[in-house]
Parts: sequence; C-alpha cells; structure tokens
Amino acid sequence: MKKTFPILAPRSTPQLGPFERQLLREVWSRGTATVRELIDVGYIHQAYTTVMTTMDRLYKKGLLEREIEGRAFRYSARFTSEELQRGAALDGIRQLLGSGEASSLPLSYLVEALSEHDAQLLDELQVLIERKRRELKDAERPHPNAKSKEQC
Amino acid sequence: MFALRGIAVSLTFFVLVYCLLSALAALSWRWLRWLRASERDLADILFFCRVFPLLASIIVTVAFVIPSFQLLEPRSTDEGVGTMPTALGLAALLLIAWGCCRVVSAQIHTSRAVSRWLAGSPPLGKGAQTVAFRSRRDAPPLILTGTRKPRVLVSEAAVEVLTTDELEVAIGHELAHIRSCDNLKKLVFRFCPFPGMVALETAWSQAAELTADDDAVRDVNDALNLAAALVKLSRLITAEPACTVGFVSGSLNERVNRLLRWEESRTVRRPRVFRWAAMPSLLAAAFGAFMVYGPSLAMTHELTEWLVR
Repeated sequence: MKKTFPILAPRSTPQLGPFERQLLREVWSRGTATVRELIDVGYIHQAYTTVMTTMDRLYKKGLLEREIEGRAFRYSARFTSEELQRGAALDGIRQLLGSGEASSLPLSYLVEALSEHDAQLLDELQVLIERKRRELKDAERPHPNAKSKEQC
Repeated sequence: MFALRGIAVSLTFFVLVYCLLSALAALSWRWLRWLRASERDLADILFFCRVFPLLASIIVTVAFVIPSFQLLEPRSTDEGVGTMPTALGLAALLLIAWGCCRVVSAQIHTSRAVSRWLAGSPPLGKGAQTVAFRSRRDAPPLILTGTRKPRVLVSEAAVEVLTTDELEVAIGHELAHIRSCDNLKKLVFRFCPFPGMVALETAWSQAAELTADDDAVRDVNDALNLAAALVKLSRLITAEPACTVGFVSGSLNERVNRLLRWEESRTVRRPRVFRWAAMPSLLAAAFGAFMVYGPSLAMTHELTEWLVR
C-alpha cells in the first residue's frame, strides 16, 4: 500500500485517490452506507463492483469499519474528517521528526506535535488567555463609579 | 608523498580538535543555563557553543597546522604518511562527507515535503515580496521553510481557525526567524554532527522560539494574540497518542505563560550583548595568537612529528 509518508509505517495517514475521497465524503455525510445505497443516491456513476472494491480498499486502509447486513456490508467511517486532517498534518510533522534530528531540519514550526494527554493543558491555557483578555478589556473600559463621582 | 602527508596531518588535526571541542561543548553547555542572559543572548551563546568546535578546528588547521607543515617540514625526506594520520585523516574525510550528506538529505527531504504542501497554493495576500503562502489543509499549520528564499506556509486549516490579528502576529513570529537566519543555522548544525549535541540543539531551538516571540510582539494585545494562536494551532495537531514524537509540553506551556506575563518594557529592543561582548574577546584571542604565532607553529610541528612517527 502506498503511503503518503512511508517512513511512518503503522499509523500514518494513507494516500487517497479522488474516487476514494468521494466515497469517504459520502460515508461521512450519511453516517453509514452500503454499496447499493451509495449507488442509489445517484452521485456515484461507477459500476457496483468498482464501488465495492474501493470500499473494501478503504476498509483495508483502516478508514472504514464494516458489519455484515444481510448479504452485504454496511460501512461507517472510523475517523471524522477533522481527525483525518489532523492525522495527515501530524504525519507531515512526524515524517520530518522521524529522522530523529528534527531540530536540525531547515524548518521552523510555530508549534510542535502534542499528545492527547495535553488537550487538558491546552484547555487550561485557553482559559488563562480568555481571563487575561477580559482583564485587559475591563482595564480599558472606564469605571462606572468614576463617571458618577465626576458628576457629583 | 609530502603533499599527501600534509593533507593527512591537517585532516588529523582537524578531526582531533573537532572531536575534543565537541565533546567539551556537549558536556559543558548546561553550565550556560546559569548565565543571567536574555533569551536573545542565550540563543546566540548556544549557537556559538554548538558551532565553536567546527570553527575552532577549521581555524587551527588553516592557521597553524598547514603553515607549520609547509614551513617546518623538510621536503626532501622520504617519510611515509603513518598509520595514525592515515586512519584519522580518513575519519575526518568520512566526517565531512557525512556532514555534507546530512545537509543534502535535509534539503531534499524538506523540499519534497514543501512542494507537496504547496501544490497549487496561492500566496497569502498580495505584495511585491510575498513570503507567506497558503498551503494545503493537511500541511503543518504554520511553518517556515527555506534558507536562501524563505517562505512561510500557512495551512488552510490555520487560516480558518485564526483571527486576522492572530494570523498577523503568528506570521510575524516566523518573519523573526527569517531575520535571525534560524533555518540556515539548523543546516549548519546538520553539517557538524556529533553525538550528544541534540540536547544543546533543542535548548538553542527553544531559546530561538522565545526570541522570535519577543520580536513578533509589540504590545500586550499582540502577546495575547500570539498565545491564542499557539493554543489554537496546537489543537489542530493534537490527536492520536501514537503521534507523540517531538512533543515538548514544557515549551508550549512556558511560551504561553511567558506571553501572558508580557510587559511593555520588553518591547524595548535591547542590543545583542553577547555579540558586542564577544568582539573584544575575539580581538584579544587574535592578538594573543599573533604574538605567540612563531612558537605555536613550532609546537604544532612537534605535535605533527609525534603523530607521524
């Protein structure tokens, strides 16, 4: 299987062709779908076997999950669109970091890849920033008591 | 044979001085943390510490070893090259070749990735000297690439999540890296490999990031915008636990908290003290070397004789 970033073997984001992307978008929009349902919608003008093979390829790439429904499979997406984009962005960074000498690559990042455990840290930092912004706005706003004192 | 011996001896000195000083730098750079220097000066000092072994070994070889061999080594002798100069000379050549390969591979690696991210992407804004480009959605959110003609790549996802002010100050951060030639410095690091230097390079990288933060921020609003941009862009690349390479939690936390503690007094651009302080020291060293140049050449030649034997 051809990968976007071959250096990151197991968890890297696979490269997708235009038709694979179209099918994935359809599955995202519908939530779950069988091959027949995708064809019946009318947006996909390919043979049943082509769609079935492509869906099977997406499943093997780890992007779709499936369960048997009668004589066919019902497919659902393993990742949301955002998760896939984030994964691809991370792969790009990881590929560059994968050499083990990232700091010496001629690239400068504004931020580095974080782990899931740091989502909480980001939330805390976001709260701090919002609080500081509020403090700043309050400081810039004229105090209501000051005006009433002037009037007196 | 004379020329060959000269080359072998020069390379031997080069590799010996380089390895000795590199080991010294790798072991002792942590003492620099005790210096009460600004981030800007710290970045300069750490960079100097990292490249000093290469600079010093080139200077020693060119200024002392080659002249001493040319002037003091009798040309008529039919002396062999010797085992040690041959082995160490080869080691030096391998070291130089390895450094060159690392530089070339980094350039190829980077240009491939960047061309993929930039495929069909338009410049971000119009201007005669546009340096910011809008890269693909799956590219890293904000990245500076290139040494001769640097470019700032902003991914579509980053453009969507950042406000105009946040984007402006974030690009300002990358422009500060351009002014400091940080990507070129990273290439220099690649040219002079030595085990145990990763920690020093990471420390330099962090100091360079803080310096770029300082350069990009003009007031407290800028500081908050940059802090918000850091958090938002970090969220874009926060995902699976498997992807934890290069994670520097302390760095982001430190940077955001530092920006939240921003003071107007910091916007006053202080001169790079280290650069000015280093000048007299360099001049004194050059003067000292000039005064003892003759005896130094003789001593270097004695060492050469000892090596060749």
